[in-house]
Amino acid sequence: MQRQRADAQPAFVLHTTPFRETSLIVEAFTRDFGRIALLARGARRPRSAIRGLLMAFQPLELGWAGKGEVLTLMKAEWQGGQPLLTGQALFCGYYLNELLLHLLPREDAHERLFERYREILARLGADPTGKVREADLRCFEKALLQELGYGLTLDHDNAGRAITATAHYHYRMEQGPVLLSHAGEAEGAVLGRTLLDLGAEDFSEPRTLAEAKQLMRSLMAYYLSGKELETRKIFKELQEL
Amino acid sequence: MSTPTSLEALIEALRCLPGVGPKSAQRMAYHLLQHDRSGAARLGEAVGRALQALQHCQRCNNFAESEICERCASPRRDPTVLCVVESPVDMNMMEQTHAFQGLYYVLMGRISPLDGCGPRELGLERLLARAQDGVVKEVVLATNFTNEGEATAHYITALLKPSGVSVTRIARGVPVGGELEYVDSGTLAQALRERRVCQT
Ligand SMILES: [Zn+2]
Repeated sequence: MQRQRADAQPAFVLHTTPFRETSLIVEAFTRDFGRIALLARGARRPRSAIRGLLMAFQPLELGWAGKGEVLTLMKAEWQGGQPLLTGQALFCGYYLNELLLHLLPREDAHERLFERYREILARLGADPTGKVREADLRCFEKALLQELGYGLTLDHDNAGRAITATAHYHYRMEQGPVLLSHAGEAEGAVLGRTLLDLGAEDFSEPRTLAEAKQLMRSLMAYYLSGKELETRKIFKELQEL
Repeated sequence: MSTPTSLEALIEALRCLPGVGPKSAQRMAYHLLQHDRSGAARLGEAVGRALQALQHCQRCNNFAESEICERCASPRRDPTVLCVVESPVDMNMMEQTHAFQGLYYVLMGRISPLDGCGPRELGLERLLARAQDGVVKEVVLATNFTNEGEATAHYITALLKPSGVSVTRIARGVPVGGELEYVDSGTLAQALRERRVCQT
């Protein structure tokens, strides 16, 4: 097995789980190494220097060494500039992390996705009311699928014809948009405009936002193989209050 | 070499303690049996008795010997203010401040979506019922300043909003006696963001 070593690597903590008496296993999303698992020895000791540092949604620089599946965290430095997430934005952050933990394979670099993730967290943190930004979530879902090699076809249908804004389509897995004769022909039909807007990441049209949400939800469900996300359950409960 | 089954069972049972691995469990088991048999008996009895006698106080959810614990029944506490904490240890810390005269609700956990712990698992409907007893006017959220503590505080705020009870969150900042030189960057950054206008 190859020895690995990294220094001052830009990273975010996705999740931590207690390990043994005083340690943590840290699932991190790093810029150049993708998703990795790090063992943070003694990180749960009361006076540990990194105890409060290994917090999700905060930009860090991590250093590690070792070989095998779990590497040992050697250094963590707080980069700052990112306000703590509050309110609904915090649950959005958890949603992004849950998607990454389920869908992103370990140790595959995804630099562009990392930048996307960093930008979206910054926007989520910049709003002190902590409101959900649906458009940001859609952009991230789209970028994630793209990075995983499941990029969406949004400019032409399955027969190679350009998408018409006013026509209705049904998005089929592996096939892309299929032209419908009318909206009621298939469940979850979307307007051509929605596909074009999603491609251009323009969510100014309310109908686009609503249809894109339904479309992305069914796509994510497909790639998650039916696994229900914990964050989605909590979102639902929050909305029902 | 074979180990007798009851010894194996004891070692296995001790491993349920936090941070006790197979080696420490074995050491503990041999210690109890070889050097402290009366201590072992006391331990066994105490665990059994505690399991039988302790329940969750109907009002604060903390462990109690009776349906309603002494603190919740005390006429010296202010029943109009309810402080929500994650754990009994946090409640003890609040008590040590001698700055809080109200009552508590102990969540016995926190919302942690990625660990599968949501509002339902935490039984937040019991807190809702408690806060709506008609006497409570203010709920003080003293959950941790972690993402999970914040998520819990946000959910409880949304939960209690329709009931008309006022909901407050304890402030965060630089510790008392804290020299900036030794304060961690995250705390200092947040204290700067949450700065206030100085009053004269
Ligand atoms: Zn009580």
